[in-house]
Amino acid sequence: MALEMINLHKRFGSHEAVGGLDARIAPGEMFGMLGANGAGKTTTFRMIIGLLDPSNGSVTWQGERLNYRRTHLVGYLPEERGLFPKLTVKEQLVYLMRLNRMSKTAILSELDRWLDRFQIAHYKNKKIEELSKGNQQKIQFMAAVLHRPELLILDEPFSGLDPVNADMLKEAVLDLQKAGATIVFSSHQMHNVEELCEEMIMLKNGKAVLQGHLKDIKRSYGMKSLAVKADYDLSFLQTEAGVLDWREVKDGAHLQIKDEETAERLFQILAARGFVRKFEVEEPSLHDIFIDQVGGSTHA
Amino acid sequence: MRNYIITIQHTVIRRVKSKAFIFTALIMSVLILGMFALSYFLGESGPADDSAENSPGSVMTVNVLDDTETDGYFAEQLSAYDDGHMTFAEQTGSFSETREEASEDGEYVLRLSGSLAELEASLYHDEQGFEGAGPEREVQGYVERAKEDLIAEEMNLSEEQRALLFDPLVVSGQPLDQSEGAPSDEAFMQSYWMVYGLVFAIYLIVIMFGSMIATEVATEKSSRVMELIVSSVNPVTQMLGKITGIGIVGFLNLAVIAAAVSAGSLLTGEHFLTQVVTEMIDYSLLVYALIFILFGYLIYGGSAAMLGALVSRSEEVNQAIQPLIFLAMIAFFISIFGLNAPDLTMIRVLSYIPFFTPQLLFLRIGMTSVPVWEIALIMTLLVISAVLILLLAARIYKGGVLMYGKFSYKEGIKQALSISKKEA
Repeated sequence: MALEMINLHKRFGSHEAVGGLDARIAPGEMFGMLGANGAGKTTTFRMIIGLLDPSNGSVTWQGERLNYRRTHLVGYLPEERGLFPKLTVKEQLVYLMRLNRMSKTAILSELDRWLDRFQIAHYKNKKIEELSKGNQQKIQFMAAVLHRPELLILDEPFSGLDPVNADMLKEAVLDLQKAGATIVFSSHQMHNVEELCEEMIMLKNGKAVLQGHLKDIKRSYGMKSLAVKADYDLSFLQTEAGVLDWREVKDGAHLQIKDEETAERLFQILAARGFVRKFEVEEPSLHDIFIDQVGGSTHA
Repeated sequence: MRNYIITIQHTVIRRVKSKAFIFTALIMSVLILGMFALSYFLGESGPADDSAENSPGSVMTVNVLDDTETDGYFAEQLSAYDDGHMTFAEQTGSFSETREEASEDGEYVLRLSGSLAELEASLYHDEQGFEGAGPEREVQGYVERAKEDLIAEEMNLSEEQRALLFDPLVVSGQPLDQSEGAPSDEAFMQSYWMVYGLVFAIYLIVIMFGSMIATEVATEKSSRVMELIVSSVNPVTQMLGKITGIGIVGFLNLAVIAAAVSAGSLLTGEHFLTQVVTEMIDYSLLVYALIFILFGYLIYGGSAAMLGALVSRSEEVNQAIQPLIFLAMIAFFISIFGLNAPDLTMIRVLSYIPFFTPQLLFLRIGMTSVPVWEIALIMTLLVISAVLILLLAARIYKGGVLMYGKFSYKEGIKQALSISKKEA
């Protein structure tokens, strides 16, 4: 295993930020880490890259704890973005990449390549404070990947980006995975996780509430989504047995139901009432699972 | 080591390239050169002409009217003297003529009359009262020398006898306390200036560099770039790199000031610099001074970095480093007080406290005689304290740079230690 967390704990005084995580991430895998604010994602990332020491348990990269002798193998995009506002893009990245053991020539050639890719080559000698937030984020992303790390930790990489830039970054992340990087990332935007990840873990109060292959989780999750459209009022459905959640949408309703048997029963009730335009039973979306598991305290 | 050097380079280059550094250096240089120029031009064309003639570099001309009974011996003898500062010119005209000419040229007139036994001498100059009586004393010395030479010649004294008679005797001042190592008067004054200089230097270093270090750390924290940096470089390495980097920037600042002073000194012919180098610096104390500045910087700089890591916004830096500045101020005032009473028990006791050691032990070494064992003991305590303070600072720094929120010493230090703790 490339990245391995065994019974990973972190306590700050009496507060337990991370309480016993176990995860094994294979080389070249894209791994999603989900959780509401304060669930322990950032603390876990900080333990992975060696910024924080675990209170108990261990986290290793290729069998060894990451320390400052090996940090050049890791690329890190922190949730709290930050660059030197007074430095130019070039000065900034030359400094940060030299800390990651890159030669200046290599830095400059990689820098040009990435600036071209993100269509911001003309900002090379501009100060960070003169750049838009989206472009600053691209520079921040470059600071995490320019040195071609083996392990890439991305904490909320797509937050605050417009759809065009988010797609541009997503494509870059997929290319890095193809090139062999192991990627761990967190996001509040569930569709990003669904699009990119095969394996995931969902945290609540520092503990894993769900973990495994995304498709398996969705398939075996004890809940289904049901979309109904009919010409009559559907609000009576919310009191039916087996209905977990009911939300009115245009021309119909969106329901969370317990299982397929509930779906069958509801279909018969609806058919008896009148014409049903749409009746679709789906596997739950990650969004639904997240809300169900973590509760409403999220920006998702 | 590589990242330590990169951090130093980054800190130094960023600071030196900043507008604040360039403008400060320029303004300081212009001010210093301006002061030299001002004193030079005031000296050249100011209302007090005699001060120009008395100033170093200008030559005083003294016209000698020899009406003595020695057949013009004095005029001849004095004309032979030339020390580059005062020259004598023999005049044969009348007193009124000579006086008129001298008045036009701003020169002096020396009128000598009487016999060798009852020699009378008067020095005339435009200004009625000579300030400081400098020229009179100087001229008197030359006339006396000429008189002694003439008497010795009349008495047929040999060179050895002349030497015995006229070689000056120097009376050197010594302290009443004759214990070994007690400094002489001259050494005492040198030490006084050295101690004064060092105490002031450490105070300035703490105020300026301490806040520079803390601001640098807080700025990186507030721009949130810190987390990115400490993911690549050990916070302790980064902290030490910053302390060293700011030290180098401070040194460059001083170098600019020194260069401006040297340039001003050279251009205007002032002897200020030579005086500082030859008279005010006691080189035996210089090594101690450098050691104390280094350790003072490490102790105060480490503490400043630690306090800077506790705040989240650069506006809070001043509040955070306030206690450190108070400590430096206390040390400064105790030292200034101690300059006049270096033997006090209080000074001795306080010199054991690491935050006061650099100033007070240096004061004691410079102004009194401190036993070697005591110097060794206090220095050992200082080195151990510096290491401990840096270790503690590193621990708090490591946790503090990841910590954001309202600033508080107690909670901040507790939280920072808890974050950086292995087994929480």
